[in-house]
Amino acid sequence: MPASRPTQILARHLCQLSLVEGRVSADRVAAVLAYLRQHPPRQPVTVLKHYRRLIARQLARHEARVEHAGAIDAAILDAISTTLSRQYRRPITAAAQPNPALIAGLRIRVGDDLYDTSIAGRLAALTTLA
Amino acid sequence: MSTVIEQIEQQIAQLSARTIKKNTGTIRSVADGVAKVDGLSEVMYNEMVQFPGDTIGIALNLEADEVGCVVLGDTSRLKEGDEVFTTGKLLSVPVGKALLGRVVDALGRPVDGKGPIDAKEFYPVERIAPGIILRKGVSQPVLTGIMAIDSMIPIGRGQRELIIGDRSTGKTTIVIDTIINQARINRQGLASKDPAFRPLYSIYVAVGQKNSNIARTIAALEAAGAMEYTILVAAPAADNPANQYIAPYAGAAMGEWFMENGMDALIVYDDLSKHAVAYRQISLVLKRPSGREAYPGDVFYLHSRLLERAARLANKGSLTALPIIETLAGDVSAYIPTNVISITDGQIYLETDLFNQGVRPAVSVGLSVSRVGSTAQLKLTKQVAGKIKGELAQFRELAAFAQFGSDLDARTRAQLDRGSRIVELFKQPAFNPLPIELQAAVLWAMQNNYFDPIEVPKIVAAADHLKEFLQTRKTALLDALRQKAALDDTLAMELKKALDEWKAAYAG
Repeated sequence: MPASRPTQILARHLCQLSLVEGRVSADRVAAVLAYLRQHPPRQPVTVLKHYRRLIARQLARHEARVEHAGAIDAAILDAISTTLSRQYRRPITAAAQPNPALIAGLRIRVGDDLYDTSIAGRLAALTTLA
Repeated sequence: MSTVIEQIEQQIAQLSARTIKKNTGTIRSVADGVAKVDGLSEVMYNEMVQFPGDTIGIALNLEADEVGCVVLGDTSRLKEGDEVFTTGKLLSVPVGKALLGRVVDALGRPVDGKGPIDAKEFYPVERIAPGIILRKGVSQPVLTGIMAIDSMIPIGRGQRELIIGDRSTGKTTIVIDTIINQARINRQGLASKDPAFRPLYSIYVAVGQKNSNIARTIAALEAAGAMEYTILVAAPAADNPANQYIAPYAGAAMGEWFMENGMDALIVYDDLSKHAVAYRQISLVLKRPSGREAYPGDVFYLHSRLLERAARLANKGSLTALPIIETLAGDVSAYIPTNVISITDGQIYLETDLFNQGVRPAVSVGLSVSRVGSTAQLKLTKQVAGKIKGELAQFRELAAFAQFGSDLDARTRAQLDRGSRIVELFKQPAFNPLPIELQAAVLWAMQNNYFDPIEVPKIVAAADHLKEFLQTRKTALLDALRQKAALDDTLAMELKKALDEWKAAYAG
C-alpha cells in the first residue's frame, strides 16, 4: 500500500531523529524502534517500510559501493574513500563488491550518484549513441 | 610535429578515459504510464530521464522522497528496482522542413514507414511563449477556402481560432479543408515565383483519436496533394496518456521552427478535450489534487501556455493555431470549453441542428466570432461580404419568430427569403475548399440579386453552375480578382458582364 502523506511525514521525522551529526546512529535507530513498539502508529508496517527506505538512503550517502571486475586491494579502496570524502565533504567509507559483468574497470555508487569507468558502461554508452 | 600529435592523442585518451557520472534512481512502481522513482536527487523539473531499454520519460513531480515520471513509450518491460538515470536535457523533438510530408509520433519519430527523418535541428518541447515586444499585430489572412468562414469569421496569421462543437458536426472537416486550401495556395504561389509570396505550412496534431480516423485524414490530405506541405503528429487513443499529453507541445515546437525562421505555419490541435483528459489521467495517477470535473488545478495553464506559443513575430514568421474542442450536448459552458474560449481570439461554433438540417459546414453565425481576423481580411472579401454576417444573424432571429405567425409583412418576407438564399449559398461539400476569388464572385452575384429569380432549393445547383462557368470560361477575370485582391470599378464591370452572360446561359 502506498504511504499516505501523514505516514510519510512521520517516517521522515523518525529518520531525522535517527541522525547524529548527519549520520545514522545505531543507538538512535534502536531507540526509535523501541518507541514504535511501545506506541504503535496507525499503519505501523507502512511507517516502518518508509522509515527503512529513508534510513537506507541516509546510509548510502556515507557508503561508496565499489563494484569491480578484476582484483582490488585495500589501498585502492582507501584512496577512493579519501577522494570521495573530500569531494562530498562528508566521511564516506568504501565497500568492495565483485561484479564480473563489468568486464573491466570500476563502478562506484554514492547515494544517488554513479561513477562508471567500466568497459560495460562504455559499451552501453556506445549502444545509446548508435 | 609528432609531439603535437602526441599531445592531441593524450588529450583524446584523457577524455575517453573520463569517468561517466550519472544521477540515478530506482523504480518503485509503474502504473498507467507513470513511474514513481526513488532517488534522482539532482533531477530537474521537466528533465528527460532514461529508463532501461531506451525508454525515456519526463520528471513531472518532484517530491521530498520520490520523483513522479511520465514514461513516453512502452512500460510493459519496466519493473520495480530498475535503474533510472537523469540526462540533463529537456525533451526535444526534430524540427525543420525534413518533417514535411511525414507522419511522426509525439517524440518526432517517423511512424509512416518512409524511413528515417534527416532533421538537422531539435527544439525543446516546452518553451516559453514569445513576449509582448517580439509580437506584431495580425494583418495577413489565413484563407480556409470555406465561404462561411472566410467571409464572416476571417482568420489571420498568428491568430488562435477555436473550432468547437459536438461530435460529428464537421470540426475536423473544416481544418482538413483549410490545410488542403493552404496546399493549393502554396502550389499556386510558388509556381508564380512571386518573391512576396509566403507559403503557409501546416501541422496537424491528432490527440486521442482512433487510428482509423487518422488514416482517413492522411488519405484525404494525400488525395488532395496536401501532405507535401503538412506534418502530421499522431498520438492516437492507443498511445499512453503521456504521449497524448506531449503531442501538442511537440507539434508547437515544430511550428515554432517555421515561425523563428521567417516562415508561416498553421497548427491544428485535434482535439484539446482529449488532451485535457489525458492530462487529467496523468495528474490523478501522480496524485495531484483534483478540482472541478476532477481536472487538476493547472489545466488552464496546460492550454494557455500551449496556445500562447501561436503568434506573429516582428521581422519573423507566424504560427496560427486552430484548436478543436468537442462539447457534450452543445454545452459550451463546461470547464474545458470555457477555458479555451477565453484563451483564444475567437471561435467557430458548429451546431448539431444545422448539421442535421443539411447546412454544412454547420457554422452558427450568432455564436461564432473572430476577434482579430477582420484586420487581416482581404479588401475583396470585405467589399462583397461586409454586411452578410448581420443579415444572416437577422434572418435567424426572424426565422425563429416567423414560426409563430403566418401573416408577415413584405419586408420581413424579403429578409427571410434573402437569408434562406445566403444559407443555401454557404453550403459547401467536404474537402472542396473554394479559392477566394471564386468566393468573392459568388457573393457579389448574391449581393447584386443574381440569385433572386432562382427558387431556394435550386440555389446550390445554380451556385455550382456559376462556379463551373467562372472557372472554365472566365479564368482571366478570376486571376485578375486574385491578383488585385480588391474590386475596383473596372473589375466590377467585367464581373457584371460575366454574370449577365451566366444568367442568360443558366436560364437557357
